[in-house]
Amino acid sequence: MDGAVIRAMALTAAAALAPVGAGAHQLVVFASVDCEAVTVEAKFSNGKVTQQGDVRVLDGANNLLTTLPLDSDGTAVVPLDSVDHAGGLVVEVDTGSHDNYWIVTPEDIARNCGS
Amino acid sequence: MKHHFLTASLAAMIAATPAVAHYGMIIPNDPMISQEDGRSVSLTMSFSHPFEMDGMMLDKPVAFSVTHEGNKTDLLGGLQDATVMDDQGYTLEYPLDRPGTYIFAMEPQPYWEPAEDAFIIHYTKTYVTAYGDDEGWDTELGLKTEIVPLSKPFGLWEHNVFQGIVKMDGAPVPYAEVEVEFLNDGAGATAPDELMITQTVKADADGVFTYAPPSDGWWGFAALNTADYTLPQDGEDKAVELGAVIWVHFEEWTGR
Repeated sequence: MDGAVIRAMALTAAAALAPVGAGAHQLVVFASVDCEAVTVEAKFSNGKVTQQGDVRVLDGANNLLTTLPLDSDGTAVVPLDSVDHAGGLVVEVDTGSHDNYWIVTPEDIARNCGS
Repeated sequence: MKHHFLTASLAAMIAATPAVAHYGMIIPNDPMISQEDGRSVSLTMSFSHPFEMDGMMLDKPVAFSVTHEGNKTDLLGGLQDATVMDDQGYTLEYPLDRPGTYIFAMEPQPYWEPAEDAFIIHYTKTYVTAYGDDEGWDTELGLKTEIVPLSKPFGLWEHNVFQGIVKMDGAPVPYAEVEVEFLNDGAGATAPDELMITQTVKADADGVFTYAPPSDGWWGFAALNTADYTLPQDGEDKAVELGAVIWVHFEEWTGR
């Protein structure tokens, strides 16, 4: 079930992400997935696009798989075939002053890839 | 303060008396869905007396929809029959594919209420936010009558005020009456006086009303106005009460 998987992975992700300077707004991170890629989106809770930041992609066991920069439109694309996603992925976005994460579960990938 | 609680006999009399506070209801399992909660929201729809937990028949609605990022989706065909408060209601499991605020809205069939010699139509809505993104929380749907939130309609602490604008045909309704009632589901709330089952506040000249609940939980706000049209019943034209209903959840304060 998605919820249990996400909660278990969230504990790892939350432990890895140390809280940094809290602002009046939060960083909202979301990642959608299809058969080809994970598309990461980041914006602030006031609606402004996050124009720069680092994206870290980890596997379900919290091993770093790859890093890439956030594009100026607040997105980043991670090709699925470039990472081992069998156990799900944790996508972290860190702007230096804000950070947050989104968990892509194996069920998310299966559901959106039609398998 | 001395409280005079309703006696059993008085409560029985009230139960036998036609109740006045009907509420259309859309209650999600959680108004703030995080990624840890899963990827969908569970909704329960009813037509009820929420404080007394007394259900009424909710016929298949005329319309049921969700609006997200300005896009409206018809969900009427997805409603599942369910028993809610011992009467006919509906449930729906809805996938939340993206972050943001999802506004679920229901237009019921006109409900004939002989005791009021009028029909009742409650345009009912509830706001659900997904994945930490509250964008769209102040969305106005453009319903026939509607409470447009001025306070974010989720993420409120108990005792916070909730403010909204009562609108009819898109225009504020000056001094509109707004009935407020608690969904007394497992809370065990009792009313020292029947006047406190349903509380009433009035909007100001701009249609703005304010209310602060005494506890956490789901609170329903119903702004009631008479329609500018009638409907036939037994060969006569009857008045139609239009309700703008919004359900808002207040969270328990976690500090001391």
